[in-house]
Amino acid sequence: MIRSDYRWLVVFGCNLLLLWLCGLANHWLAHFSFLWIDHCTVSLYLGGLLVTYAALRLDSRHGWASTLLTGLAADASGALPFGTSLVLFGLIHAVMLHTRQRFPREELAFAIVVALLANLFLFMAISFLLIGENPRPASAWVRLFFDLLASQITIVLLTGWFMALQNTVFIFFRQHPETGRRVAS
Amino acid sequence: MLPKRFDQARPFTTLGVVVLAWLLLPVAVKTFTRSAFFEIQAPVTLADSYVDDLQNFWASELKSKQELIQAGKSLAGLISKYSFANQQNQDLHAENLRLENLLNLPSLPAYRLEPARVARRDFSGWWQRMVIRKGRNYGIKVGSPVVYADGIVGRVAEVHAYSSEVDLITSPSFRIAATAEGDNRPVSYHGGDNETFSPPRGIVDFVPLDVSASQSQPLRLVTSGLGGVFPPGLTIGSINQLEPSTDGMFKTGEVKLDLRLNSLTEVTVLVLLNPDQF
Repeated sequence: MIRSDYRWLVVFGCNLLLLWLCGLANHWLAHFSFLWIDHCTVSLYLGGLLVTYAALRLDSRHGWASTLLTGLAADASGALPFGTSLVLFGLIHAVMLHTRQRFPREELAFAIVVALLANLFLFMAISFLLIGENPRPASAWVRLFFDLLASQITIVLLTGWFMALQNTVFIFFRQHPETGRRVAS
Repeated sequence: MLPKRFDQARPFTTLGVVVLAWLLLPVAVKTFTRSAFFEIQAPVTLADSYVDDLQNFWASELKSKQELIQAGKSLAGLISKYSFANQQNQDLHAENLRLENLLNLPSLPAYRLEPARVARRDFSGWWQRMVIRKGRNYGIKVGSPVVYADGIVGRVAEVHAYSSEVDLITSPSFRIAATAEGDNRPVSYHGGDNETFSPPRGIVDFVPLDVSASQSQPLRLVTSGLGGVFPPGLTIGSINQLEPSTDGMFKTGEVKLDLRLNSLTEVTVLVLLNPDQF
């Protein structure tokens, strides 16, 4: 009997959950007061975290499927030209697939480093792409620096939970993320 | 079996194929895909906005009778004030129509007012957008002006089945022709000066040299009506500072925007009644 293999869907579903949580956080961070500061606005970008699990743990076919779909989902909810995240996420996925055998990819610390570097790359790429529209690029970079700082701190805090969440979903479905073989609970 | 060298380059080959396929994909397919991916996520975005409303409703249920009576009194005062303003508005409208007919002038654009709740705010350093809970189901059109009680909010950038995305006046991509109050010469306004620890500001360019503004004497910036999208006279913000531009032919300055733009929960979309006429 042919068994359907939905590993890409598991990771894509988890990524949609993260996109929703990130959108919700940005909604509330659009305007808040903090200690002695009357007005504060910050925005989180967690693109690096969306590509990490698929690039480190999934096999090539399912990894590509979930990464590309996640790229399209991220583009649809933002104001980027449609397809930008698809290409950027794809590039990170390709680099990781090429190099991941040389690193301890099961380690959480390594996943955090990958998520941080991927997020830094994505954030800078999008910033360079859109900064031309801004009438005052110098002050825009200051704002972007604070957004990046907040995003990187959030990634450090969230990566452990997000990787564990995806592992738990695979354990629930009794499937190995890379081979797709049935595993004992 | 594939040679080892090719096997190592396989991820990049796959990426190349994906990028090529994406570039060759017809625009109609891309538009449909974007819309489909947005609609997949839209129900959740709208649902958490409804949950928020429900939460506010239950919070209001806890208010005491005294507080409700007090709120009712304030509301009654506001209703009588607005009823009078509405009556004045109708008189002015009739007078305007009479003068238009007398002078044989073309009539000004007429709008239908469509109030909508804000479902999601996305104020990053790259763009400043919000999602509202009305879309094609209420006849919202791309480019429609979005306003609130004290001026303009932005314009509709994308319309979906049950929601729309609004590009705010604070967004770097937002540009509009404006005028300083009491002066009919057009100037250029654009958003984009959004710092983390200070309120959002806009930038005004091509201001004539004889116009001046300062912190103590700010100048109200309003829509010019040029371009036919925004009706004239709507508040954008106030010019607090003007200085000569680099070429010395005009002035340039900062526009202070209303802080409430960052925390709006309800906006109004102006839907043009006869779009073919303008």
